[in-house]
Amino acid sequence: MRDLRATVSSVEPHPLPYFTLHLEIAEDFLPVVPGQFVMVEVGERLEPYLRRPFSVHDLRVAGSRVEIDLLGKVIGRGTHLLSTASPGSILRVLGPLGRGFEVQPHDRVALVAGGVGSAALLLLGRQLADRRIPFDFYYGGRSSIDLPCRSDFEEAATASGGSCIVTTEDGSEGREGLVTGPLGEALEQGAYGFLYACGPMGLLAALAGLARDHGVAGEAALEAPMGCGYGACLGCAVPHVDGHFALCCKDGPVFRFDEVRW
Amino acid sequence: MTEPDLSTRVGPLELPNPVLTASGTFGYGLEFSHLGSLAKLGGIVTKGLSLEPRKGNPGPRICETRGGMLNSIGLQNIGIEAFLVDVLPGLRQYPARVVLNLFGTSIDEYRQLARRAEPIPEVAGVELNVSCPNVERGGIEFGHDPEILAKLVAAVRQETTKPLIVKLSPNVAAPHELGEAAREGGADILSCINTVVGMAIDARTRRPLLHTVRGGLSGPAIKPIALRIVFDVARKVGLPVIGIGGIETASDVIEFLLAGASAVQIGTALFRDPATPERILDGLRSYLRESGIAKVSELVGAVELPSDT
Repeated sequence: MRDLRATVSSVEPHPLPYFTLHLEIAEDFLPVVPGQFVMVEVGERLEPYLRRPFSVHDLRVAGSRVEIDLLGKVIGRGTHLLSTASPGSILRVLGPLGRGFEVQPHDRVALVAGGVGSAALLLLGRQLADRRIPFDFYYGGRSSIDLPCRSDFEEAATASGGSCIVTTEDGSEGREGLVTGPLGEALEQGAYGFLYACGPMGLLAALAGLARDHGVAGEAALEAPMGCGYGACLGCAVPHVDGHFALCCKDGPVFRFDEVRW
Repeated sequence: MTEPDLSTRVGPLELPNPVLTASGTFGYGLEFSHLGSLAKLGGIVTKGLSLEPRKGNPGPRICETRGGMLNSIGLQNIGIEAFLVDVLPGLRQYPARVVLNLFGTSIDEYRQLARRAEPIPEVAGVELNVSCPNVERGGIEFGHDPEILAKLVAAVRQETTKPLIVKLSPNVAAPHELGEAAREGGADILSCINTVVGMAIDARTRRPLLHTVRGGLSGPAIKPIALRIVFDVARKVGLPVIGIGGIETASDVIEFLLAGASAVQIGTALFRDPATPERILDGLRSYLRESGIAKVSELVGAVELPSDT
């Protein structure tokens, strides 16, 4: 974990409210494990005061030049400022932080994302493809705009020998309904040896239930309000099955399904 | 000129410099070992420690507010035993002095905690968190009743020869009266302030942003309140004071010293910038050099008041 100065290369707009922040960062940032995150300092002002957590969405390394992508959704002032950052501006980036996904050998796995939760899964998808583990990418959103960077996920899934399955709650894209629909059917067929997921807590809880019902293990990257990102403030409590509160930032953000009291 | 002297004496507590980290904002210290701050700090005040480990409150435990944040962690901690056995040895290599922040739900629990810390040479002092409900007295906070506070401090005083710090709550009409009670009980030092009780609501969902509804406000938003209380307590109580509340720059530190604090604790600013203590110390050295001040202690209480106050 290091606190580095990153330079904004560009901000790539997606249909609102989504954006990708491309940052050039020192080589010291490496290595990074899929599922790990960074805390980004936003602006010089009192609001927002705290840094904002982002999954490391993508990574490009060319010699000593390292670029990371952060996929964001404009929710408040902090994310608005980041979505309008000027190329060349400097942001302090603390990371990489937390426990990432563990890639295990399986015949076929499923990656499941709800909306911008997909940000935690692209690096993982690339790593699975490199290790020749085919995966299907289940991408669920409220509507067609809530599927940012969809083509990147399609490409990665295809490269691994899998495919991308899209669902929207309003039926504006892909199959109407929740990702748990098609995923449940595939699990019924015994299609996957492992699940990887990121998205809203409600979705993750439903996935953990589905996985358990089908005797499949999995991991999920969780979200919680974070003050520091490295275990000092104890703000990001996640209820653990053994009764204590784990810290999302330090014990996670990736937890095995059976570690969390959903 | 020679390097300014940052060494600081706060009553019986001697520090390499006046910058400590506040309880609950620095974990147990080692969380920051990667970030370099540890080697430069004057002292570390640990996360509040109780006799037994505590699991804390369900989330959401924190939320951001303008110029700060609310927290309601619920005193989650690993317990004093685990701290002394598993964590403290790892802090030995650093010059920062280690102050244990202690809390209990009865006077006897505080006594036992102080007794446990007494023989440990690496413990430079104890700070009592008195913003906890007293279960023997219907849940009123120890720090809200001068009589109970004096009793509590006197009981702990019997158990410890270490510098005894009492951390005052700002959530009372006259904090200096509680400071006087702590002095009567035998406190050596007062630290002010603990967080200010606050609340936040999400207008969209109509729900409070914290699970426990109320939480403790910290960050730059509370600095003027903290400065006023440090000023009052330092003038009226006659014990050395450690200032806490929204400090994030060298200028903030200087203001607290001028108001009467002998040292300061940095809290919420660490979350935004873990390197805050180094940045502050560099700024403090520059200020002293440029102002021709040889010793940082010359600033303590040196605020220049209008002649008619």
